[in-house]
Amino acid sequence: MSGGMQSAADPILSVRGLFKHFGGIKAANGVELVVGRHEIAGLIGPNGCGKSTLFSLVSGTVIPDKGEIRFDGRAVAGMSAHRIARLGLARTFQIPALFDNMTVTDNLLAAAAEGHWQGAYERAAETLSLLKLNHVADNRASDLSGGQQKLLEFGRAVMRQASLILLDEVTAGVHPNIRKIILEAIARLREQGVSFLVIEHDMEMVRNVCDRIIVMDSGRVVTTGSFEDIVRSSEVMQTYLGRPQ
Amino acid sequence: MALIPTNPQWRGLVLLAIIIVVLGVLPWTVNNYWLRIATGALMWAGLACSWNMLGGYAGYINFGQSAFFGLGAYVTAFLMGDPFGLPFSATIPAGMVVTALCAVIIGAPTLRLRGAYFAIATWAFAEVLIQFASAMDFTGGIGGIGLPPYLNERFFYFAMFGTAALSYFLTWALFERSRFGLKVKALRDHEPAAEAMGINTALVKLQTFVLSAVTASVFGAIFAYWVTFINPKSVFGGDITDQMVVMVLLGGLGTLWGPAIGGVALFVVNRLIWMYWGDTAFYIAILGTAIVLVVLFLPNGIAGLFARRKNDALDKVLDKLVGSGEGGHP
Repeated sequence: MSGGMQSAADPILSVRGLFKHFGGIKAANGVELVVGRHEIAGLIGPNGCGKSTLFSLVSGTVIPDKGEIRFDGRAVAGMSAHRIARLGLARTFQIPALFDNMTVTDNLLAAAAEGHWQGAYERAAETLSLLKLNHVADNRASDLSGGQQKLLEFGRAVMRQASLILLDEVTAGVHPNIRKIILEAIARLREQGVSFLVIEHDMEMVRNVCDRIIVMDSGRVVTTGSFEDIVRSSEVMQTYLGRPQ
Repeated sequence: MALIPTNPQWRGLVLLAIIIVVLGVLPWTVNNYWLRIATGALMWAGLACSWNMLGGYAGYINFGQSAFFGLGAYVTAFLMGDPFGLPFSATIPAGMVVTALCAVIIGAPTLRLRGAYFAIATWAFAEVLIQFASAMDFTGGIGGIGLPPYLNERFFYFAMFGTAALSYFLTWALFERSRFGLKVKALRDHEPAAEAMGINTALVKLQTFVLSAVTASVFGAIFAYWVTFINPKSVFGGDITDQMVVMVLLGGLGTLWGPAIGGVALFVVNRLIWMYWGDTAFYIAILGTAIVLVVLFLPNGIAGLFARRKNDALDKVLDKLVGSGEGGHP
C-alpha cells in the first residue's frame, strides 16, 4: 500500500518506535507513522487502540516510555506540552477541554496569549466569523451546546496559527451544519499550508477529507494508504470486524 | 437628566470615584475607634484580595496564606528592633523580598499538587512557620516581639487604604485586563488544555503565587507596626487564612470586587459581635454558618448576584437612587 510519497519526502511529523505502557496496557506499542506537509492524514482504528494516547504523546501531554517523535525536524519526545505547542503544534481533545468559566472570545484570546498575541483580537473576530460563533461571542463556554463547544475548541486550535493540528473526533456527534463549517475551515486552512492528523470514526468524512489513512490496532500502525486501498484491505476488515474463528 | 452616566463603564468609574472620596475623607469624619475598625476592614479586604489572586483566579486553594502575612510582620518587627533599627518604610521591601523567596521555594514543589493536596501542603507550611517562630530566640519565641509604637491612626488607615487600593488595581490590571489574566484563568479551568495552548502553567502558577504572597506580606508589615506587638499565633494562625477564604467565598470567588465585599462585611460583623457581646467566639459560629449558606445558596458569592443580573440589579438600584438616563441602556 501507498505510504504517501509527500509524507515520506518531507514529513512535518514523524514517529518512530514509540512505546507507552500503562501498567499491563500497551497504549503505544511501537508506533511508526509520518504526516506530510500540507497533508490531511486520517487516523482510524477501533476504540481503545491507542489513537488518543498517540495524540497525547505527540503533543507532550503524556511522556513516552521509548521512541522518537520529530515535529518539523525537531525531536520533541519528552518535551513539555507548552514547548511543543510553541513550536507550532495544536490539538483538540476527544471530550472538549474548554475554559468553561471564560467567554467564547476569551477562550480564543487565551489560545493566542502565548506567542501569537500580535493581532489576536482581529484574529479572534475572524475566527468567530469563520466558525459562525459571533452570536455567542460573549457567552460562557460552558453555556454552549455540544456542537458549539466542538467548534470553539477547533477555533482555539486555529488561533494558535499552528503548522500541524491534531483533531480528535472533532465532528463526532455534531449537527451536519456544524460539521460543514468545520470541514470548510479545515479545507481553507490546508490551502494556507496547515497539516492535519485527524482521528475519526465517520468513514464518510474520512473519505471526503483525508489524503491518506493510517490504521491503528493494539497500539501500533497496521497499515496506511488511500481510502480505496484501506477499504479493500483484509487486514483493516479484520481490525474492525475481528478475525474469522 | 441623569446624575450618573448610563454607560456601565462610566457608572463603574463614578462609583469608584465616590468610594475613593468617601474613604479619603473618612479619617476626618469619625473618631479613632471607628477609624481603627475602618483600618481593619481595609486590611481584610486587601488580604482577601491577595488570597483571591491564587484561589479565585488560578483555582489553587491556599490554606497557608497566613504564612506570608506573618513573614511580612516578622521581617518588619525584626528589622525595626535592635540591632537594626531600620525605618518602617525600609522594612517593607525587605519583607517583600523574603516573602517572594519563600514563596518560590514553597511554591515550586507544592504547585505541582492540586486540590486538597495543595491545600494541605500550604497549611503545613504555615504550621511549620508557627513552630519555627515559637522556637527561635530572634523571633521572641512564643512570647512574641514588640515594635516601636507610632500612635498615628490616620497613618495606618492610609497605609492600609493605599495598599488595598494598589492590590485591587493590580488584580484588575493583571487578572482582568491582560494576557497574564487569560493565562491564569485558562489554567484554572483546564490545565492540560492551557498547556496545549503553549502556556507554561508551572511558571504562571508560580508568578501568581508569589504575587499573592508578597501582597499579603505588605499587609503583615503594616499590621505589625500598627498593633506594635506580634506573636506566632497572631500573625501565622490558621484562623487568619480561614477568614480570608470565607470572605472571598462570601464575596465571590475569582471576581474583582467580591473579596472587598466579603472582607468588609465579615470584619464589620466581627466587630459588631465584639461590641455587643464582648466576645468573638460567636464569630466562629457565624463563619461556619456563612460557609454553609454560601455553598448552598450563593455558589458565586454576593458579587455573583450582580454579575448574573448584569445591567439589572445594580442598575435598577442606581436608577432608583439617581434616575435613569434619557437614552436608556446602551
